[in-house]
Amino acid sequence: MATEDLPSDFDIVILGTGLAESVVAAACSRVGQRVLHLDRRSYYAANWASFTFNGLLTWIQEQNEEPKPEEVRDWSGLTEEGEELIHLSQADSASITNLQVFSYASEEEEEEEAANTTEEEKAADEEVVKESSETESADSKEEEEEKEGAGEEEEQANQAEGEEPEADQPHPSSPGQSEPSREKISYAQLVKEGRRFNIDLVSKLMFSRGSLVDLLIKSNVSRYAEFKNVTRILTYRHGNIEQVPCSRADVFASRQLSVVEKRKLMRFLTSCVEETEEQTAYHGRPYLEFLRDQQLGDNLQHFLLHSIAMVAEDTPTEEGLASTRHFLRSLGRYGNTPFLFPVYGLGEIPQCFCRMSAVFGGIYCLRHSVHCLIVDRDANRCKAVIDSRGQRISCSHVVMETSYLDRSKVATPPRFLSRAVLITDSSVLPSESNQQISMVTVPPEGGSPAVKMVELSSSSMTCIPGTYLVHLTCRSVGSAHQDLSPLVTRMFRTTESQEEDRRPSVLWSLYFNMADGMASQVEGQPLPSNVHICHGPDSALGHEDAVQQAASIFQRILPEEEFCPPAPNPEDIVYDGDNSSTGEDRGDMGQDDGQNPEQNQNQENPDPEQNQNQENRNQNQENPDPEQNQNQENRNQNQENPDQEQNQNQGNPELQRVGPEESPSSS
Amino acid sequence: MAIRELKVCLLGDTGVGKSSIVCRFVQDHFDHNISPTIGASFLTKTVPCGNELHKFLIWDTAGQERFHSLAPMYYRGSAAAVIVYDITKLDSFQTLKKWVKELKEHGPEDIVVAIAGNKNDLGDIREVPMKEAKEFAESIAAIFIETSARNAVNVEELFQKISKQIPPLQNAEVESNDSFKLTRPPNPTTRRCC
Repeated sequence: MATEDLPSDFDIVILGTGLAESVVAAACSRVGQRVLHLDRRSYYAANWASFTFNGLLTWIQEQNEEPKPEEVRDWSGLTEEGEELIHLSQADSASITNLQVFSYASEEEEEEEAANTTEEEKAADEEVVKESSETESADSKEEEEEKEGAGEEEEQANQAEGEEPEADQPHPSSPGQSEPSREKISYAQLVKEGRRFNIDLVSKLMFSRGSLVDLLIKSNVSRYAEFKNVTRILTYRHGNIEQVPCSRADVFASRQLSVVEKRKLMRFLTSCVEETEEQTAYHGRPYLEFLRDQQLGDNLQHFLLHSIAMVAEDTPTEEGLASTRHFLRSLGRYGNTPFLFPVYGLGEIPQCFCRMSAVFGGIYCLRHSVHCLIVDRDANRCKAVIDSRGQRISCSHVVMETSYLDRSKVATPPRFLSRAVLITDSSVLPSESNQQISMVTVPPEGGSPAVKMVELSSSSMTCIPGTYLVHLTCRSVGSAHQDLSPLVTRMFRTTESQEEDRRPSVLWSLYFNMADGMASQVEGQPLPSNVHICHGPDSALGHEDAVQQAASIFQRILPEEEFCPPAPNPEDIVYDGDNSSTGEDRGDMGQDDGQNPEQNQNQENPDPEQNQNQENRNQNQENPDPEQNQNQENRNQNQENPDQEQNQNQGNPELQRVGPEESPSSS
Repeated sequence: MAIRELKVCLLGDTGVGKSSIVCRFVQDHFDHNISPTIGASFLTKTVPCGNELHKFLIWDTAGQERFHSLAPMYYRGSAAAVIVYDITKLDSFQTLKKWVKELKEHGPEDIVVAIAGNKNDLGDIREVPMKEAKEFAESIAAIFIETSARNAVNVEELFQKISKQIPPLQNAEVESNDSFKLTRPPNPTTRRCC
């Protein structure tokens, strides 16, 4: 496993493995470009990453470390006449702030565990990173103010900070953890089973007719991952959690709605699919006003505004309707809600695109960065980069995540997201199945922003049986803790309280702020025309922003090429047995060219001389109907949905028809 | 017979013959100048095993191992892993332990592990004694076999051994596994409302 040098000539160098960068990498490799994809981090997916519990603890430590002073080295020996250097930032110290950790799980070792592991204990000791906030002065002041008011939770947290909190609680929990909760899970157990967690830094869902799902299917990247339906949509209202009826069956089965409301809701949902004159009349006026005038009543208005459109009260009607339609279009494609969640967490998705890029020749190197760009002064184009080992690598385009830009030249992101991650011991709304995946909308209340909450069960492979992983996200007003902890203390138990308190207990929680990608501004920065910037995750629930960024960067780099055409099916790759290429060092499965000329749609290459992958290009053959086989194989799987009653799926034809019908495959 | 899809991931240093083994198994083909994999996400081959058909989905590293940058998603859901070394290169055997560790860290807990000492047609320049490799495999409860992708020795056998070690499917597993792959959605079974 000795490290060798990187090749020194590429078409495209990509820095950062976040979603947008990874999609660009896959798209470029797919059409024959030589891609070098680097990330200075030791993990894939940048701020889109998912971590095991232990991996997350390490990440937290890293965030709290002082950034190392950037070493200034003289690279002038590597430049030529007429070239100048743009130095890049060697660390991302701006996108994550206000990190705070609270542990409520018992720290007592269970006997059997204490007996057989010393390693875990060590790990547990190291991870006493409890409550560590960033050094920003304004924030610490705010925090103090907050401590006065926050009461119970803070006390508890401070207690947890000590070495022996809650030691008075012996927990005779058995290892059979699949029983539904209330059996205490210790901190040691979280660490011991830490690798079974996949904790996302961003919390998003995939609209089943959103652009990410479309792209995954179109490119065949979807075959690298599996997905689950979000099984229910909940809303927090008057201190209670209620289920939002969103399929026809839900509507009719709903106990909260009266018969009249049910009819009104169905009529409204059916009517808003198409633009009507009545709707046009409300353009520019708040959606809430439009809803009010529909005489829907408080219940329905709440559901429609906060849980279906998921917009603010002052959002204009046309925007509210567009969101509503987006929601309705995605309904019933795979399941009973419009949303999908990738098994093992969202961090899988960028990795899947990276794999697609690698499969088409992209070269991957983590823990590796670029120190500077070499710019041709006259052409104002980047000709090459100098990597962290001092190698000059030439390229015709550079794509990079915002955090690689020299911080002194980028305005601090004016807006942040507030995030909280909780590990809890039961669901916010227990039901027959303990494997629900729930989207919970919390409307804004008295100055606190609207919160999107996603509760994942162990079936999503993101947490261990007997626990739930709860992600909270909102646009930040203050620090993440200020924004979200009041809601957390209302909805969850963070202290030992009476037995009749049925709220889920928080075992462990993390708060942090992440820069809102949408708000990051790099405009003022004069960059060479062939350097393309991707910003980090935005605050929206879906992934439209990242996909759109990737598509537009690809369009700028390769305007003539198709964006992510389908990769061939494994069954369709044909060997013809006379191959003479030299890539032995890649150590991959060798294979020879595809043969059917009319299927080789990817033979066009803007720069064939430079293209080392040339001999393999016509392997990128198109399968005339790539989805067909898979569709057959997976059709049954798609229809399986044990968590929902069978009749729900079949019983909502009306809402399923609300969206445009799917054209029956490509036949 | 029920077809069961089994993901198998290949591990091992660059150049030990991971791809050649798969190529021999799937295509019964060997190429001295093997080319980098372009465009193959995974290769498949179906073999009978008891009352089941095992459809192996064999994933290669796509070169991501070259700079130690294999993504955790590579291991997800693997039923088995084949760690390949080259019997003529001691280095490639010494790094086995790293791959085993990597697998323990990122791989599924119940994964079947097989260790394949490839290039056993080059016995006269052997650097790794078979006994030593076998003992190591036993110490981690892994399948052990020496193969030659070039001469088609023991490649079928390797996968047969894996097949035999795959635990029979539990009914409960089938029911609880409601995750799915995204494809063009099934034709909507629209029914008229009453």
